[in-house]
Amino acid sequence: MEPKDTVLLPTTVVGSYSVPEWLERLKTEYYQRRISAQHLAEIHEVAIKAAVKDQELAGIDIVSDGELRRDNDVDYFLARIPGVHIPQRAKTDYFDYYETEVTRPLPEGPETSLGLAEDFLFTRQLTQKPIKFSFTGPFSLSRRIRDDAYKEPGELVRALARRLNTEARQLAEAGAGLLQIDEPFLAGYPEQVELAVEAVNIVTEDVPVTWALHVCYGNRYARPSWEGHYDFLFPAVKAARVDQVVLEFARKGLDDLRLIRQHGWDKWLGLGVIDVKNPEIEAAELVASRIRRALEYVPADRLMINPDCGLRHLAPEVARQKLRAMVAGVALVRAELPGGETP
Amino acid sequence: MDVDLRPVKKLRESAAARSALGPIMEAVCASPADLARLRVVCDWIQYKQNFREPVVSRPVAHTDNTGTDVEIAFDLRRCTDIDLTAHVKQALQEQPGLALEPWVPGRDSCVWRFNQLYWQALSHWEAATGREYEQSLPGGESDARNTEAARELILELFWIWDELDARRALPEELYVLELGVGNGNQARTWLDEFVQLDRRHGREYYHRLRYLMGDYSPHVLERAHRAVAHHADRVSALVVEATRPSVTLGFLAGKAFLVYISNVYDNLPTDELACIHGRTYQVETQAFLTEDDAARIAARFGAGREDLVKLIDRLLRIGPDLLSESSPGQFADPGQAVEFWRATWEALRLRERYAPLQGLDSYQITPSLTGEILRPLVEGHGDVRMHVSNGALGSFTGTLPLLHPFGRIQCHDLFLTRRHQYRTGFYGPGKYDGSVVNWVNGPLLQLVASRRGFGVEYTPFRQRPGSNITTMTAQARD
Repeated sequence: MEPKDTVLLPTTVVGSYSVPEWLERLKTEYYQRRISAQHLAEIHEVAIKAAVKDQELAGIDIVSDGELRRDNDVDYFLARIPGVHIPQRAKTDYFDYYETEVTRPLPEGPETSLGLAEDFLFTRQLTQKPIKFSFTGPFSLSRRIRDDAYKEPGELVRALARRLNTEARQLAEAGAGLLQIDEPFLAGYPEQVELAVEAVNIVTEDVPVTWALHVCYGNRYARPSWEGHYDFLFPAVKAARVDQVVLEFARKGLDDLRLIRQHGWDKWLGLGVIDVKNPEIEAAELVASRIRRALEYVPADRLMINPDCGLRHLAPEVARQKLRAMVAGVALVRAELPGGETP
Repeated sequence: MDVDLRPVKKLRESAAARSALGPIMEAVCASPADLARLRVVCDWIQYKQNFREPVVSRPVAHTDNTGTDVEIAFDLRRCTDIDLTAHVKQALQEQPGLALEPWVPGRDSCVWRFNQLYWQALSHWEAATGREYEQSLPGGESDARNTEAARELILELFWIWDELDARRALPEELYVLELGVGNGNQARTWLDEFVQLDRRHGREYYHRLRYLMGDYSPHVLERAHRAVAHHADRVSALVVEATRPSVTLGFLAGKAFLVYISNVYDNLPTDELACIHGRTYQVETQAFLTEDDAARIAARFGAGREDLVKLIDRLLRIGPDLLSESSPGQFADPGQAVEFWRATWEALRLRERYAPLQGLDSYQITPSLTGEILRPLVEGHGDVRMHVSNGALGSFTGTLPLLHPFGRIQCHDLFLTRRHQYRTGFYGPGKYDGSVVNWVNGPLLQLVASRRGFGVEYTPFRQRPGSNITTMTAQARD
């Protein structure tokens, strides 16, 4: 599935969906051994169904599973990757990060699976809509691992990338058409962008899907982890074998759009038009004005519309309203474009 | 019968405290109370000015229509030379006195209106008492002016700013916020030191510095602003509602590198919750004057007993200036009205009762925070009564979003640092001159911060060893 196969200015999400307070409590209760893994898995499935339905009702063109099985952006993966050791698996709060370490090089090969393809297939049966499936990239995963195994830190990143490549192949075989690599930690280490891009290319190698790369300034606890500009990303990101970059603009402002033109980025741009760190609902006209401004830099047939980042920290009703506002804003702009009427 | 002896340290130290225990039990057993439904609680109230009689009773209501239990509470410090039997008998009877308000949660009590008036009309109070408010603090001064401490903080800021500058991520304006500015000495020390260190550092950060002084009291703010007049182009003064800092300071979201707070949180409204026999209760309070005090104050200021409630409410609404202006017959000048205020404050008492909560999630700590967060602190640890520190939490949670990703809050205040302390001591309310003091529930702030991705550390206040003041530092983790 190519984005262009859908509609002009297709709308999508970055990945995570609102985690209601009751679900947070249940996730934590699992770690306190008050509910079983089986019950939590069933709870997750119900929550995912609701998240997909919410996106459909809001009119989102390309939906996700809301990443609702994942405690945070890292642990779901590290807990499944063979060779990553987690000394203490109990948590006070589900959202806390595990402390992890590798003491020997990660075992390689396709024998083991992280289970992401099964997650995708579960979502596939829930909706007729195209699906975006996101996972955290090797660079960001590596930042949460104490590395006692590799002589050169880049080796751990590359090993993780190879593991994720195996997973991506399984996702593609399962029918995934749009995969997204999230690198939420990269903005904190701008001097390592070349390494991150190299690892992205390992992940995407020979995986015949549409690839997106999401780089933001962090969204942990609905706060930016870093500040700055996307200057660090360019021109290095041009070497990434991806079809689009997904960037945040709503919170930070649109100034960094200049980089798209300045560096001749000629692929798709996932334009963040919804501030996920602020519960205030954007007006449709504000969304439209952000898109119009982006159209000065990127043609409409290379622009995808999404929130700045995942919706995890927004209250459910706020998330729903924000998605509706985004869709309404896109509709305003589509109506202004030749051949862009909403179907 | 449950007997809860909290001041364990005093019991070891004070023979008087120990010797009171026998007579207390004699008096309780001689009373007509149903001992099977009685809780006996002993505290040691360290505040000489407080809101309690030496012996008080508190009804414990049940949700299941099985009647009401009673808690009878003793202040061991004042139990050695009184007729305990008479006091117990009186405490268990219907409480007389002049009620100034209906039963309300602690944070809604009129004691906080008195507290508010104190800061609004501070100059009047200080004129009447002949001393500045800092002298009423423990140790006689605010705990916040130390060159060495300032230097440490400033050098850490320089380190962060250098790092950010190296990656072109340093904002043009460098914000530092002080909440609760005292007399301005802290700001002056800090800014003077900043100038010197900046000169040596050679990066000209001073010219990018924006030092914001926020305080609830315009009087305090004005005085503090005068103290830093020589930094006038770097300093702004803002009236800030401490429990809702974002109302005034929303523009600062994500920008503050340092928020400095001193002796603010312990002076903000709070509820108390209790867990008794596995059930959760809210402590409801009612401010009142004893019959004797009401009669004495009414006679002194030429008012009828029944008029006192209205007169006090009027004082709290319009302050001493306007009260004397509008009632010249009773208060010839503002000084007279201040005397009325002081006499009422001195006599003010609180009675308490336990009202059952329908569930922690039905209790709202602040508009954006439910009581659910209290569950790990309240449940599963036996009987406990603790402050919710609603005002402090409102202020704290409103301040966290102001922090730059590399920013921090540093706060000097009266903090409990471990949950267990609630079982071994009394932490308020007490009276500091014309204001209210309650220790702050540190573990709760720690928990709330943790759920927002901030780490909170408590360390002893280094600048005055042995002080009750604790330093809290909050900054982003992960």
